[in-house]
Order: sequence, then C-alpha cells, then structure tokens
Amino acid sequence: MIRVQEAPFDSGAEQQAMLAGRKSIGAVVSFTGLVRDFNERPEVQALTLEHYPGMTESALADIVEQAESRWSLDGVSVIHRIGRLAPGDPIVLVVVASAHRRAAFEACEFIMDYLKTRAPFWKKEHASDGDYWVAERESDYRDAHRWGT
Amino acid sequence: MALTHLNARGEAHMVDVGDKPESQREASASGVILMQPATLALLADGGLPKGDVLATARIAGIQAAKRTHELIPLCHSLALSKVTVDFHLDSARSSVEVTATCRLNGRTGVEMEALTAVSIACLTLYDMCKAVDKSMEIGEIRLNSKTGGKSGDYQRLVTGTPIVTGECAAGEVSLGPRCDTESPCIRVKCLAELRERLGVGELSVPLASLARADVAGLKKVLKERDPRFARLDEGRVMCAVNQVMAADATPITDEDEVAFFPPVTGG
Repeated sequence: MIRVQEAPFDSGAEQQAMLAGRKSIGAVVSFTGLVRDFNERPEVQALTLEHYPGMTESALADIVEQAESRWSLDGVSVIHRIGRLAPGDPIVLVVVASAHRRAAFEACEFIMDYLKTRAPFWKKEHASDGDYWVAERESDYRDAHRWGT
Repeated sequence: MALTHLNARGEAHMVDVGDKPESQREASASGVILMQPATLALLADGGLPKGDVLATARIAGIQAAKRTHELIPLCHSLALSKVTVDFHLDSARSSVEVTATCRLNGRTGVEMEALTAVSIACLTLYDMCKAVDKSMEIGEIRLNSKTGGKSGDYQRLVTGTPIVTGECAAGEVSLGPRCDTESPCIRVKCLAELRERLGVGELSVPLASLARADVAGLKKVLKERDPRFARLDEGRVMCAVNQVMAADATPITDEDEVAFFPPVTGG
C-alpha cells in the first residue's frame, strides 16, 4: 500500500491493519521519520514538502517492488506526507512484515535508503533566518549504494 | 554591538590583545575571478605569457596573508602557523574560485589574513592574465568560516542567491507566446528549487522548434529563449520524460511532459 497525503498518519493503526487476520507473519518492522527542529540551520520552524504527482507514486511503487523481489515479504506500506509540516510531525512511514525478522529489518532500511535518493520529494525548510531548499546528502547516496546497484 | 577599532572618543585605535588568552584560530575566505572562456582555457593549459599562473598566485596569496598587518592599518602582525591557497577552475561559469585558509595559535582572529590572501591571489591572477583578457572581473570576496576566539565560531549560511518563498510570480521568465493547441507541443515543468530559481513552473514549447527531438534539443531551445535556462545543464539537475527518468539523448514527441528538477530530498 502506497499513499502520498497531506493528512497525518497513525503508525499503530497502519501496522494493525497490515497484520489483521494474518497468522503467517513472524516479524513486523515499522519506521517513522519525523521533522527535526534543526537541519542545515538551527531553529527550523517548519518545512514544506513538494512532490511530483504521478511520478512520486510510481517511484515509490517501483522501490517497493524491488524490495519484494529481494526479500520474501508479507506486506509493505509506505506513507509519505506532503505540504507544510512542523517539527515533531511525522513525515514518512514504512511498515514491512515478513515471516522472519531479518527480511523485515533489511527491507525496511532498503526502502528508506532508496526513497531518500530516488523518490521525487523536495524539502524546503523555514528557519528563523529565512527559507531555503534542503540540499541532497552525500551520506544518503552512500547508504543507498550499499545495496549494490 | 560596538566597533572594537574605535576608542571611547570615536578615534581609530589598535585593540590591546595582551590580556586575551591564546586559542587555536582558523579562518577561511573565498573569492571569484570571472574571465573569458578562452582565458580560462589558456590558464588551464599553461599557455599564458607570464608562465605558471596558479603557482604564482598561490605564492602571492601566502605572502599577502603574512603581510596583512602592513596593509590593513589596525591589524596586528601575526605568526601564522599555516596558510593555504587553493584554486577551483569552473568552466561552466568561466571563472576561477580562490579559497584561502589561515591558522594561528594566538590572541586575535585570522579572517583579515584569509581575506587578504584571497584578494591578492585574485589580483595576481588578473596581472598574470591581463595580456590576453582585460575584461576579467573580481568579486564575491567573503569570509566563509571562522573558529576560535571570544566572539565564537562563524559559518557562512548557504551560499548563492537567497531563495524567494512562494510562487514564481516574481521575476517571471519571458518565454514569448505559448504555442496554440493546433500545433504539436511539449509540456515542460520545472519543479521545487529549480522552479523558484528560474521563476517559471510550466511552459509549452512547439515541437517544431526543436532541431533535434530529444531532451538535449529541448534544452537548447530553452537556453536560446532565456539564458537563465543554462541552469538546466548543471550536473545536479535531473530530467524526467513522461514521469520516467531521462537523459539528454531521450527522444521527445508531441504532448510529452518533460520535467526538470533538483536531486530529491524526501524522507
């Protein structure tokens, strides 16, 4: 399940929905990304997330498909928020269910690493001394690279 | 905040740093000299009449840092522990970026030394190249960072022009009339930071105006319309045709949607 939305999400509810009535799942890993109040500058007051409607959803679907081809998974949910968010707000949720923990842990990390470098989202931060677009990070590319592509 | 180089009567004076504790201090500054592309090429190939331009400018910058107190009236003479001067040749901008870093274990900051090193290195570059190019322009000389001392650390915030918030109404690019619905068209989108920097979000380009029906051909037409689109050739800018990642050679046909955008930063 992939969603790009302005509304907040409830990670507990999303996880329960995935697990409901399924007894073969042995592990579920859930990752929630939050807005920090510091980044390239201190005192980040808010951020605005822009996306490319259509391409964003298909890029996320492609990432999930790649994860499913690498690991044996019983369920994947990715929710990414857009619009204006405040520090402490959840931005992104990845829930991965599998028969065993290793696949769930690894696939969850893989999806986040690929999402950060491949899914068309852009962050603009609003700090006390002005607004600026967040620059891409070398470390994110290194993280994505370790999955060997 | 008061100006430390003025005394109680408002007269210039040299600050007594005798009572300040010694600390490890470092400052880094940079500047840019713009030149003709041909000059930059000669500089890179070592083909200029005065010889090795960069080596000479580097020595000039280091010497200048050491002699800052002779040039700037109220600067102390300092026993610098390290001075480095580096050059970055930028062919896209047809410029040389000069950076200087000075270090000292002492009682006063070394930002003036770093700024002087950059200034004199730029002037030396001008002197070494002026035989072939008198239109060179020196600019953007500034302090990038400073550490140590009482006033605390300083780091220049994001370089480049400030980004305007909100819509792209301010500074719209003149693109001429939109193509009418009868003739084949390409729909071009600029996203995120690129949209704000260019001042344009969406536009249409007649397919017939492209000499080559691919992404490179489209970029060429856009650059001819407005030089600001030169930004599309920067390494950071990505392109998608019909929402699939594309490259310069990707073909374009009627009604295609071509989007240009910076590297992604979600998650």
